Amino acid sequence: MVLLKNLHPPTEGVRHEQAETTAVLDGQRLGCGTLYVAETRLSWFDSSGLGFSLEYPSIGLHAISRDVSAYPQEHLYVMVNGKLNKENEAEMAEKAADDDDDGSSDGGDDDEDEGAITEIRFVPSDKAALESMFSAMCECQALHPDPEDDDSDNDFEGEEYDVEEAEAEHGHADIPTFYTCDEGLSALTQEGQATLERLEGMLAESVAQQYHMAGVRTEETKAEFEDGMEVDTAAMEAGQFEDADVEHW
Amino acid sequence: LYYELSTEIFITYYRSFMFMNVCVSLLSICGTLHSVDQYLNIKLTDISVTDPEKYPHMLSVKNCFIRGSVVRYVQLPADEVDTQLLQDAARKEAMQQKQ
Repeated sequence: MVLLKNLHPPTEGVRHEQAETTAVLDGQRLGCGTLYVAETRLSWFDSSGLGFSLEYPSIGLHAISRDVSAYPQEHLYVMVNGKLNKENEAEMAEKAADDDDDGSSDGGDDDEDEGAITEIRFVPSDKAALESMFSAMCECQALHPDPEDDDSDNDFEGEEYDVEEAEAEHGHADIPTFYTCDEGLSALTQEGQATLERLEGMLAESVAQQYHMAGVRTEETKAEFEDGMEVDTAAMEAGQFEDADVEHW
Repeated sequence: LYYELSTEIFITYYRSFMFMNVCVSLLSICGTLHSVDQYLNIKLTDISVTDPEKYPHMLSVKNCFIRGSVVRYVQLPADEVDTQLLQDAARKEAMQQKQ
């Protein structure tokens, strides 16, 4: 993360701008200023131009805090990985240009390993703006994923999978069984889908082993999946059981 | 005992993971899964912090957005999850990847 002085507020890609917002860093009030939720970074500046910026990858968590018994004002709570040391601000302003080693005295990586965090609160005078501030941050976070590693799977579209929405659609709220979401299955590549069907065919032939095939739709077992119940395809094949109830095994 | 789930499996079966305990560095947050995206950014509702003495500021928070990359691990209640199903899905996926 980068900590700078006298930096200009972003002019492009600002998803949300909130004036009259007090920043509190690890319990220390920094004063009143403007919060900029921009696509590139999150930043806050007071009227004299002093402020700080945060890179989204360093923001581990953000939330709206509404319980005034815990903290006297409703605010946007932000948890940052590593320690932001205000005393090092001047150093950082010079160093930032040369290298982006770390934003703290000890080195960002070390701090992360130890689990050191910085808690920042943005307290807007307009409490009604909190939802927009929160949403804007969610959107910007999604724009800054970590670089891909080997087993990350990006076959899925960049949508949010809303649990409540999906349950309302499929209406299976009270059945404690599994079913595959259509988006998930359709997001398999052609090859993946073909492989999946082939494997299921292989599994269906096997009599010795029994598998749960819940939620995975294939042509053979279509009839059994009206409500996404678990099905024993081997039993179906061998005709040993009337219906594939789990309790029978 | 723990299982490692791929992103694909997690997102495929996410709707059955209602309650979870998300561990972020030294902080453990328990809540109901609201939504998850392809980067495993997680939105939780009705959260509670496992160690509130250490992180008192989180007490006032009900809903939160957790960046996927900072999640160390996610705990799912064993009795609410069909581990056999997930094992099979993981096995299938492993076979798929060997092709």
